[in-house]
Amino acid sequence: MRLSGAALFSLGLALVAGYAVYAAMRWPAKAALFPLTMGIPLFALAAVQTFAELREPAIGAGPLGRVVVVFAWMAAFIALVLLAGFPIAVPLFVFFYLVMESREKLGVSLVLAAAAWGAFHLLFERLLHFPFEAGLIREWFQ
Amino acid sequence: MLDALLQGLSLVLQWNAFSLMLVGMALGFVVGLLPGIGGAATLALMLPFVFKMTPVEAFAFLLGMHSVAATTGDITSILFGVPGEGLSAATVVDGHPMAKRGEAARALGAALMSSLVGAVIGAIALAVSIPIVRPLVLTFGSPELFMITVMGIACITSLSGMGTRAQIKGIAMGLLGLLLATIGQERQSGILRFDFGFIYLWEGLDLIPVLVGIFAIPEIIDLAVRRTAIAGNAPAALGAGAWEGIKDTFRHFWLVVRCSLVGVFVGILPGAGGGVAQWMAYAHAAQSAKNADERGRFGSGDVRGVLGPGAANNSKEGGDLIPTIAFGVPGSGAMAILLGAFLIMGLHPGPDMLTKHLAVTYSMVWTLVIANAITVLICLAALPYLALVTRVRGELILPFLILLVFVGSYTANRQIADLLVTLGFGAIGYLMVRFGWPRAPLVLGFVLGKLAETYLFISMARYGYGWLTQPLVLVLIALTVLVIVLPYLQERRHRAA
Repeated sequence: MRLSGAALFSLGLALVAGYAVYAAMRWPAKAALFPLTMGIPLFALAAVQTFAELREPAIGAGPLGRVVVVFAWMAAFIALVLLAGFPIAVPLFVFFYLVMESREKLGVSLVLAAAAWGAFHLLFERLLHFPFEAGLIREWFQ
Repeated sequence: MLDALLQGLSLVLQWNAFSLMLVGMALGFVVGLLPGIGGAATLALMLPFVFKMTPVEAFAFLLGMHSVAATTGDITSILFGVPGEGLSAATVVDGHPMAKRGEAARALGAALMSSLVGAVIGAIALAVSIPIVRPLVLTFGSPELFMITVMGIACITSLSGMGTRAQIKGIAMGLLGLLLATIGQERQSGILRFDFGFIYLWEGLDLIPVLVGIFAIPEIIDLAVRRTAIAGNAPAALGAGAWEGIKDTFRHFWLVVRCSLVGVFVGILPGAGGGVAQWMAYAHAAQSAKNADERGRFGSGDVRGVLGPGAANNSKEGGDLIPTIAFGVPGSGAMAILLGAFLIMGLHPGPDMLTKHLAVTYSMVWTLVIANAITVLICLAALPYLALVTRVRGELILPFLILLVFVGSYTANRQIADLLVTLGFGAIGYLMVRFGWPRAPLVLGFVLGKLAETYLFISMARYGYGWLTQPLVLVLIALTVLVIVLPYLQERRHRAA
């Protein structure tokens, strides 16, 4: 019996369901009916699954490092959007990803970053007039 | 009626209307590729441009754009695993595994041809049913609508695979989807559920960030880990499969017709929306598998899993228009915006649209057919080139896929928090794939959860428990039981044989 990743995922699901049931018990019947109806069987099924996973051999760890790196890039893009806004974040992200992660040549990265900005600008700003937030940096300087 | 039908065709083919339809189609083509900013959002953005148009021009422009967005959404779903529209997510489940196997062209051919068949069936349904649909729609009150959503939820058993463990995982994911749908303010009592003090969660989780996160991010991770092109080292000639995909549509023609009818029916029902139509059609396609082996192929690249959602996605446009035109009751968010266009044009949905403005009504039918036919023909011609994208080095397209995912998620509601939700559900989706939990039941539960709760409370408030004895409800209960037990009966019969 060992706590593998699969068992941890099932356990997490059971905890989510358990919390949902606990929270719903404090609400009036109307608001609690649906979460309780879903949460109780979900808790039971996730618990059964957790015990089943505990008896099985663990799935290999897999390429965890690479997965974390890609998630970090996505988180970095969100941070960039928050700070600089989409119109600036889009070309910057494409450029830095291609140079630092994909190890592309500088020229290729510049051309593709410009293409990304061009397509974004044309579609959202010129054609659709879609309003994007400016980003925190511009707000700080205003 | 035939005169009006022909007059409707001649109105759409007039130079002004036709060219505006082409402009709308071009716009719909591009936005259809992006998740988030789908048909409804683009309709809203383009509404101010229709003020100076005639009604036929305006509807050619708007409907041309809207119907094409539904078709092209399938392209990114299949090629990249990124749902082009919230509605196109069901196509990802089997379409993207086909692309990974080197069968992108076949999957695209199947999706496009089934979309065209679906659009034609939807248009025929619209043309035929307008005069007779009133009693049908009026028959469906909250109890019947609740039972239909329950029937949709029961499809979870079909999406879960066979075997006790698979069923446990599938049902648990369906329940989690239903639970996630309860986040936000409860409409009857006003109680805030699972909001954790965030105003963002008061309205509940939006479908687009959840869908895009769960389906697209695991594919991005997979591509990054493999360090190959999307199609990997698959040897198949990419363009050659398109014809095979078209033939698949006719090989499984009755499945396509049935799924189209599911789309029309769900489209007619108020509030159900395209996502419901696609997932119910997908579940029906999975259910049509003859045995466990066949059902096991769904989710790993079965062409029927592409045909069903593809057909329903477009046929529901015709279904959506039926209550919008006949009663002014929009079946979806997009139709609510289109209703605004009616009012801008000085038209009032209802009896006038079936008498005085019948030609305008039929011009909409023709717009649906012509716009989809042109789009499918153009896409089929470009298909070998589109499929080539799956041969491009993954490292080169990864940043663009990440952009597609997050820009798409943001444009749905213009909320930065949606980006975090996308990332969070991306992590959950990745873990689900890694540990063998099915994603389709979660989405089906999430899509149907809010509707089910709303209809249940209206039914209880209006009829008490009496709604359970209404004749149509009893029929729907029987059908729901059949949906649940059918896979087990099929499996038993197969084993016995």
